[in-house]
Amino acid sequence: MIWCAYCLFVDYLEARQRGNLELRKTAWAFSLFLYCTAVFGLDTLSVYTVNYPLKYFAERIGAEHVEVSFPAPADIDPAFWLPDAETIIQYQQADLILLNGADYARWIDKVSLPRLRLVNTSRVFQEHYLTVANATTHSHGLEGEHSHVGTFFTTWLDFSQAAQQARVIADALVRARPAHRASFEKNYAALEKGLLTIDRRLQSKVEAMSERRLFASHPIYQYLARRYGLDIKSVLWEPDELPSEEQWALLGRMLSSHPAATMIWEGPPLQASIDRLRALGVESIVFEPCANACNGQDFLSVMRRNAETLN
Amino acid sequence: MIETLYVAWRYVTYNKIKTVTLVACVTLIGVLPLALQLFLNESARQLLSRAESTPLVMGAKGSSLDLAMNTLYFDDEVPELISMAAAEEITQSDLAAPIPVYARFQARGFPIVGTSFDYFDVRGLEIEQGRSLALLGECVLGATVAERLGLKPGDSLVSSPETVFDIAGIYPLKMKVVGVLQRAYTSDDLAVFVDLKSAWVIQGLGHGHEDLARAKDPSVILDRSDRNVIANAKLVQYTEITESNLDDFHFHGDPEAYPVSAVIVIPHDVKSGTILRGRYVEQDTSYQMITPKEVIDGLLANIFRIKNVLDAVIFIVGLATVLAITLVFTLSLRLRQREIHTIFKLGCSRLTMVRLLGTEILIILLTSAALCGALVVVVNYYSHDLVRVLFIR
Repeated sequence: MIWCAYCLFVDYLEARQRGNLELRKTAWAFSLFLYCTAVFGLDTLSVYTVNYPLKYFAERIGAEHVEVSFPAPADIDPAFWLPDAETIIQYQQADLILLNGADYARWIDKVSLPRLRLVNTSRVFQEHYLTVANATTHSHGLEGEHSHVGTFFTTWLDFSQAAQQARVIADALVRARPAHRASFEKNYAALEKGLLTIDRRLQSKVEAMSERRLFASHPIYQYLARRYGLDIKSVLWEPDELPSEEQWALLGRMLSSHPAATMIWEGPPLQASIDRLRALGVESIVFEPCANACNGQDFLSVMRRNAETLN
Repeated sequence: MIETLYVAWRYVTYNKIKTVTLVACVTLIGVLPLALQLFLNESARQLLSRAESTPLVMGAKGSSLDLAMNTLYFDDEVPELISMAAAEEITQSDLAAPIPVYARFQARGFPIVGTSFDYFDVRGLEIEQGRSLALLGECVLGATVAERLGLKPGDSLVSSPETVFDIAGIYPLKMKVVGVLQRAYTSDDLAVFVDLKSAWVIQGLGHGHEDLARAKDPSVILDRSDRNVIANAKLVQYTEITESNLDDFHFHGDPEAYPVSAVIVIPHDVKSGTILRGRYVEQDTSYQMITPKEVIDGLLANIFRIKNVLDAVIFIVGLATVLAITLVFTLSLRLRQREIHTIFKLGCSRLTMVRLLGTEILIILLTSAALCGALVVVVNYYSHDLVRVLFIR
């Protein structure tokens, strides 16, 4: 592209010698455009992420200096997604690959990625990862007992952790493009402010709650519960499916030991589920984890709305 | 002059055995030191170019030569293994970029090199056919491996068991060939590259089998409790990683405890490299940080010491050969007394006789020189591969 810009600049000089004003103007404009595109294009950092929150953080911090991609299809939970070979090759060509850590996106263990370009955004608080207790183990051969279930991974639902993950991203961007440090730091400060505002809002909302026992439709709110002092018991219900009688029976048994009045769903549940839960004295609220694209809305807006739904 | 040349030529072609013997002796004396020098220069070039492009190598304490040879040339002698924690230690230091290498297993006589994707960037290796490594269980072949085994993208390659007596050992892994590298004229041409995780699968640290909690065949379950399911030997472990069973492959334990044979360390700058080297000089560490160039320089110094001895031997043999050739010519003159006498009687001068004998010697020397030159050209052409086969691998 720089070569094209150079050629056009030569054309401009020739046109100037010949006195062709129109050609001069056109060649000069194109030359300038191509040069700028080349210079700024080359400077743009290609960043790939494994979920939407990281994409949002990188876009907010990197702004015009980064091109952030998160190629998972919109209808897939990125934690359990397995990209095809072509998508993995796209990841391999990125300047930075932002990982969530905490065993999120286990496909990373099954593909080849450039180790030096991987950034584990939650490494700074890895001692505080929550792990699955009472997981079934198995044994075969000489290896002894082992389990395939590991760590809870929706780390960003603790907004103080989300801010730390954003800090790691900012540091990685500064390392990759030190010339834009000031811009990255300014953008990070704005993002951190947004995240910590939600953090404080959630703290104050939970403090005001008379009942902190909740149900969750999926076991993804562990970090939210720990940070804000909620007592959450999870079932395995899909928002777009009506739970089976067996699942209702299980909830009934859980209600006797955990009389919660609210169930958190990761997406809008079916009206029939809402009604039947209400009949049991359990209200439904939606707290979207936003692991994938949040229906065109940005992460902070959805999280602000989530925070307001907690009562 | 042309008559002298004709007569001399007729003489040397008539006495074939004598001429061939003399030409062979002179050629060998000429070609031996030249070929040896070519080999040594090529060895030094190959060894040093690879070593110079590898700033530092971290490995277990022990033979630095084994460590350098295994890491740079994938030599069969595997140094004591270290864990991935070493690579993590380098990352945490923020002084260098670590590239783990696990060169322990083989496939049909070629080393399987488990490494991270960054290795290809650092070595400047490009894909000629197919694509780069993407999924677990895939391999990319060096140009020579692909050529010798006749493999191309889409084919399969099975890892070899470490010992034939390891009947109860790990199943070989059938790897999918997804790419062939451009010829690099280095050890990389002779290697089978896999992702580090695939190397761990070959070792058995990662494996794939059906989910025991949902096993369809109850006879694979030996015992089941609330917290643990024990399978028997009937449980089939996959020997090939495909898209359909990729999800069932998993690793156990702490990945930082998994083994590697070495870590290539690329310091951010000279100062960082010096600091890192200093850290691993201490006695209480189980690692050593070597500068491959220094190790290979030491190796070359030994080779050149041996070369000096060889030079002396060649010089003595050469001197003996020259004396023998002189003796052959002297005896030849005696045997040809009657012939020389006849030439005198024909009216030729003593000078003509000298010219005749001189031309014969010249023909022998020129033929030897031509042969010697041709052999040196051939040796030079094949020196790269010969050095690889004879000295490096």
